[in-house]
Amino acid sequence: MDFIANISIPAIVLIIVITAWIKGVPVFDTFVEGAKEGAKTAFDVLPVMVGILAAVSVLNASGFIDVLSNLLKGLAALAGISPEIIPMLILRPFSGSASLGLFTEQIRAYGADTYLGRALSTIMGSSETVLYTLAVYFGAADVKNTRHALAASLIASYAGMLAAVYICKVL
Amino acid sequence: MLNIIWVIMIFTGIASGLLMGRTKEVSDAFLESCVNAVELSITMLGAMCLWSGMMKVAQKAGLVDGLARLLRSVFKFLFPGIPKGHAANGAIAMSISADLMGLGNAATPLGIIAMKELSKINGNSPTASNAMVMFAVVNAACIQLIPATVLIIRQQAGSASPTSIIPTVWIASLASLISGIAAAKLLEKRYRDPAYGLKRTASIW
Repeated sequence: MDFIANISIPAIVLIIVITAWIKGVPVFDTFVEGAKEGAKTAFDVLPVMVGILAAVSVLNASGFIDVLSNLLKGLAALAGISPEIIPMLILRPFSGSASLGLFTEQIRAYGADTYLGRALSTIMGSSETVLYTLAVYFGAADVKNTRHALAASLIASYAGMLAAVYICKVL
Repeated sequence: MLNIIWVIMIFTGIASGLLMGRTKEVSDAFLESCVNAVELSITMLGAMCLWSGMMKVAQKAGLVDGLARLLRSVFKFLFPGIPKGHAANGAIAMSISADLMGLGNAATPLGIIAMKELSKINGNSPTASNAMVMFAVVNAACIQLIPATVLIIRQQAGSASPTSIIPTVWIASLASLISGIAAAKLLEKRYRDPAYGLKRTASIW
């Protein structure tokens, strides 16, 4: 598994560069041309990142997540969700760094091979920081009206996370 | 949509910070987040240049079209309206492949490239097309064959078998992907008219 992960990038780059060279593409010139566009995009995305990270960090620092988790505990118990998992369910779609920090902390506290450890690992491995992805992708494309993107992405995100909570009870 | 969410996040953060006596933490968070955003952007700048350059080379070599041809039937269902041979096909295929292999550093730049190509087809309109939303949703489902970061953290936390979660990760990702695609397909009709969509969005979020 490690080998596959390590070899994939060099293999892709090699295939691209060799094929282009055989076909007579001016490889380096083309690369630089594309890279310039990439640099411009990265700068375009910077203001979006500042905005999103500011809002997320403020929310994290305020202690609001703890309050919300406490409020939701009763509801979660009815659905068969362990209270320890609630903060992760709230945080995961909104903040990548905060959920990774929380995950590292919780997996040490609860043990990696317990139900909680496996459920939290599955949530981390199968979900994405939806808000950040949407803001960056649509920000780069200059889209103001994202229509149903947030609703559908959050449905995808929560379906995956809830699936993780229940599957780990069975498997 | 982001306008409202942003206001809610900032307001909730500052208000609960005040109520819970955490104004110093909130104040620090504002300043720190700017530094973090710049760090993140600079880290991404290199990867963005590298993958944008590679994509350009792959496109000129005809590799991108080849990849897109392999995935044509799936793409026809998920992203209708992309012209044949358009760069968007290849960009989406590359981005999803990077996701699958867990290449985080490559996946975001490739995703941005794909979104920009989709936006070109949409006439660079400020309103997202169905294909653009579907692409965002497929990304949200985060289909990953090997969740490398999680495996490393599990190992560090003393797991007897870090990889034991791979099957559950696959099932959960699949559940996420299927629900997301279904949700996007169902919702796209309700949000068809841009003006109507805006009003709906405002009332929901």
